Amino acid sequence: MRPNSKRRILLSGLLFLFVLGFLLSLLEGPVETDLKDLFGFVFQGQGDENLKIILIDLRLSRALLAFLVGASLSLSGAILQGYFQNPMAGPFVVGVSSGASFGAVLCIYLGWNISFLGLSLQSLFAFASGFGIVFLVYLLSQRKGVFKVETLLLTGIAAGALASALTSFLIFFKSESYEQAVFWLLGSFQLADWKHITAVLPYFLVCFVVAQWLAKDMNLLVQGDETAQALGCPVSRMRKTFLVLSTLLAASSVSVCGIIGFIGLVVPHWVRILIGPDHRHLFFFSSLTGGVFLVYSDLLARTFLFPTELPIGIITAAVGAPFFIYLLSQRR
Amino acid sequence: MTILDVTNLCAGYENGYVITDISFFLEQGEFISILGQNGSGKSTLIKALQGLLKNVSGRIEVEGEDLFSLNPRQIAKKIAYVPQISGLTFEFSVTEIIHMGRYAHQGRWGGTSAVDSGIIDEVMDLTQTAHLKEKKIAHLSGGERQRVMIARALAQDTPLLFLDEPSSHLDIHYQVEIYQILKRLQEEKGKTILTTEHNINLAVPYSHQLMFLKQGRIYGSGPPQKMITKDHIKDVFEADVEIRENPHSRLPEISLIPKPGRQS
Repeated sequence: MRPNSKRRILLSGLLFLFVLGFLLSLLEGPVETDLKDLFGFVFQGQGDENLKIILIDLRLSRALLAFLVGASLSLSGAILQGYFQNPMAGPFVVGVSSGASFGAVLCIYLGWNISFLGLSLQSLFAFASGFGIVFLVYLLSQRKGVFKVETLLLTGIAAGALASALTSFLIFFKSESYEQAVFWLLGSFQLADWKHITAVLPYFLVCFVVAQWLAKDMNLLVQGDETAQALGCPVSRMRKTFLVLSTLLAASSVSVCGIIGFIGLVVPHWVRILIGPDHRHLFFFSSLTGGVFLVYSDLLARTFLFPTELPIGIITAAVGAPFFIYLLSQRR
Repeated sequence: MTILDVTNLCAGYENGYVITDISFFLEQGEFISILGQNGSGKSTLIKALQGLLKNVSGRIEVEGEDLFSLNPRQIAKKIAYVPQISGLTFEFSVTEIIHMGRYAHQGRWGGTSAVDSGIIDEVMDLTQTAHLKEKKIAHLSGGERQRVMIARALAQDTPLLFLDEPSSHLDIHYQVEIYQILKRLQEEKGKTILTTEHNINLAVPYSHQLMFLKQGRIYGSGPPQKMITKDHIKDVFEADVEIRENPHSRLPEISLIPKPGRQS
């Protein structure tokens, strides 16, 4: 099959799942609503203030946030896999997510709740500590311009574990709430509202446009630094840009919904299997697939043990961790 | 016309220079092979000549311009490079790989223009890679892969072509095939070609000039007839050889003298 038609089929499939996922997200919840309520509300303006709050402020914002976070984390993963020339990288594996989560929690417990033009100090902290971790991993895993997979994975996991331990320490030291710990370490959209969307959306849009703009450069980078430069790519400038992009994406997500692991690892993989490694398409389709995947994961998190909510990180880990092990076993 | 002029080039990595005091020049349309032992600085030299190394001093002029004042995109329009190994992490198809050669000529948003497509068709023809188009690069044989890498370099449409050990890991049949392609490019397209090579007998019939490197310095350079002598080979490669004339090409050829075993 021609790559073009493969992409068209995937796009149609994803758009269908996207619409269906949002529809289900709007209908599903503790308060019973059916299609009639929904259509009446959307097309005829029927229903009271309560219905509006439930549909728009609770369910729609939540689905939208899940979509944006899924898209951000998957795009971050696609960038990191190219960056490290390794299909096993991802924001969680490399330790960025855990680092960002530590930064966000630290900011909360210092009580510095300042935000300016949608730019909160919390996401700034998340970004700084996420960046710190990825930079550390970068320094430790690079030997003469070559990334050793083993060192990359081990330092990423160790640095991530350390950051998670610090996060847990902060939470148990200063807080009485067990739910807080679960939120930051396993992720949740329970607290989703429009404020969170405005905290994620600008980062995603900017990073997505820049990544798409530089997608050809990423295609060259994964051929190796020397080859890339010989073909005309300004390698060191590109590397810096991509590292900042992937960290921004992961940190902005983590700062609103905690750590949601493995999605950034598996989604670019699925997409690569379906449409090939060309980053001009990979970035777009990873974002879309990741968004849709997280909308369904959140649906499952809400309904699986209803009325109790599962932390969404459990679901993504249940899908992602076995896949990660499978990838490890495939390595020769 | 001098196309590449190198003066007092020193280059290396973080821990110091590997090659020192390299000076030479190339005329347009020349074919030069750089020979030397492992670790003599062949790969370092070929990288330094296209500005891939940071720790450098000296001067390199390409088509009269100072190489160190050019950005990667500008260099990629003058010099194309076929590296020894290339990334195979992700399964790009042959056509995707060859298209990458057009990067330096394209804008970031732009797609493939008619000029790009024309050049790509032509280089696939020259390298006989058109039938491999849809295949994944990882599924090709060594010889096919090397031809694809040459096609990508040709797509850059540059006057200079550098190849780092183009014959390594190839069967004899493919070694000759690759050099035939290079010779054709030099003769028909007027390309200036610089290769590093292990196999002395392979380099001789195709090169106008041989350059011998020893411990990071130029030991000597000149036409094969002048360079291939018993003493030179002994000095540069620490090997005892016999020189004879190849009956077909009338060019010098080396044969190794086996040392007697301990038992005999």
